[in-house]
Amino acid sequence: MSLTVALSKGKLLAGSEALFRRRGLPFPGGEGRKLVVPVDGLRFLFVKDMDVPTYVEYGVADCGIAGRDVLLETGSDVYEPLDLGFGHCRLVVARLRGSGLSYDRASTVRVATKYPRVTAAHFLDRGVSVEVVKLAGSVEIAPGLGLADCIVDVVETGRTLQENGLEPVEDVAISSARLVVNRASFHARRAEVGRLIETLRSAKP
Amino acid sequence: MINTPQRLVHVPPGVQCFVGDEARGRRRIEETVVQVFEGWDYEEIIPPLYDYAEVFAGPALSPKTYSFVGRDGSVLALRPDFTSLLAKVAAGRLRDRPAPIRLYYSGEVLRYEPPKAGRQSELHQMGLEHLGGERSAADAEVLAIAAECLDRLGAQSWVLAVGHVGVFTGLLAGSGLDGGALETLRERVEGKDAGGVSEVLERSRVAPEAARAVLRLTEMAGEAAVLEEAARAFAFSPAASVAVAELTRVVEALRAAGLGDRLAVDLGEVRGLDYYTGLVFRAYAPGLGFEVGGGGRYDTLLERFGRPMPAVGFMFGLDRLSLLLERQGRLPAAAPLAAETVQGPALGEALTRARARRQAGARIRFGNGGDR
Repeated sequence: MSLTVALSKGKLLAGSEALFRRRGLPFPGGEGRKLVVPVDGLRFLFVKDMDVPTYVEYGVADCGIAGRDVLLETGSDVYEPLDLGFGHCRLVVARLRGSGLSYDRASTVRVATKYPRVTAAHFLDRGVSVEVVKLAGSVEIAPGLGLADCIVDVVETGRTLQENGLEPVEDVAISSARLVVNRASFHARRAEVGRLIETLRSAKP
Repeated sequence: MINTPQRLVHVPPGVQCFVGDEARGRRRIEETVVQVFEGWDYEEIIPPLYDYAEVFAGPALSPKTYSFVGRDGSVLALRPDFTSLLAKVAAGRLRDRPAPIRLYYSGEVLRYEPPKAGRQSELHQMGLEHLGGERSAADAEVLAIAAECLDRLGAQSWVLAVGHVGVFTGLLAGSGLDGGALETLRERVEGKDAGGVSEVLERSRVAPEAARAVLRLTEMAGEAAVLEEAARAFAFSPAASVAVAELTRVVEALRAAGLGDRLAVDLGEVRGLDYYTGLVFRAYAPGLGFEVGGGGRYDTLLERFGRPMPAVGFMFGLDRLSLLLERQGRLPAAAPLAAETVQGPALGEALTRARARRQAGARIRFGNGGDR
């Protein structure tokens, strides 16, 4: 049985491919829209980034590549043996530029986000009541339209925030791409999983 | 169609219902496991379904417990696990019984927990507790019992991942790490996240030698040779060295008994620090991404109930075991004998024949068909 690797179709895909190719590991090329692709002893699943930890936690995939931000949100019980050194970003609280939003003045802060769990935990720790508005995307427009007071979202360069009139207030977490491994696969398929981990470890940029 | 009220149709989340083959399959698994427990001279205990909530108090279980107020105003809880109940009985009613006490159980527990991989809020656990007795011998015994259960069930390529929480706690003894930071560190070690571990340690005042050692726990998983490496690397810490030596002794015994290739050492296994004090282990097998069972040593629990003594135990989740065996194509053959129909115009005569066939061991279906 070959190992199954779950990869995100989103922003980590290019980095994942570069990493696999740099180390001479098989990687699918030109299979079009197929979502399950076997290549030379590995089987690849292409799924939504938020779903990678789930496939790995359930053992449908032995391992996968997921952002730390996504792992924080899903809270999946998986091993994270490697920081793969790409896909760096920050999860931040951002508000409308010059909005003067401050926690000591707001009884409840309404926050739009794709990360409801992380957001709730962050404000809980700050002792602030929060109403989380869960969105699937385009979170940056929420404050300008009055849907929320602020957002919690991922920032790479800060350009998207700027273009939507937002400014970061504080960091919630720092993220990068991680290799995640299913607990049972790690122990019960130790030899194969161990080889893959070592190969990827030596390939870090 | 009759319009039945929703509540009389819907199944509340968290519970499930087994019918026919599924129920039979579960019963077979339970019988096999119980036979193994009996074979190692463990006695069955059937504890109550609920007890005072205080019995189950603990940071891990309390938030998951279904509690309610009894008629006399006392707070009661549906049992979220068996171990506390067994400890209570061993320290109370069985107080005069000399150690070691060997007890096993099989039954449902209830926990507020989201359904996951065959596990619901109501889940069936089969497990045992070895109370009192020499530690290494008891540890080796319970691991051997877990191994025998998996073998008899026909599980394939299973592995027992064993660790010892005393390595982690020993390395950090006197480090001054407080509750929050210690828990974050434990969680990162558990996740084998070296980067995350370094981050927590950099913000702490843990001595550099201990910090380097804790960081290594994230990669100390694999063959038994890991233990030799650990003995060398952690020699500076007396507490951690004791833990490594304890684990080594148990692992060597299992290797000598032919179970070496079934063991995976994992010093990063540091779950349940408020509860476990020594050996910890989990059973894994390909086909199911989750453990099918696990346990460990909890030397401080019995003290709560007034009879301090060391203890070790483990349990299998029946739901997880049946899921694993199904995935591996090893579910016990549940098909019963085909039933023969016994019927006749004279009810008394037909019943006589039915009783005779039953005497002969046949599976019979009695009567003239369905209701009219």
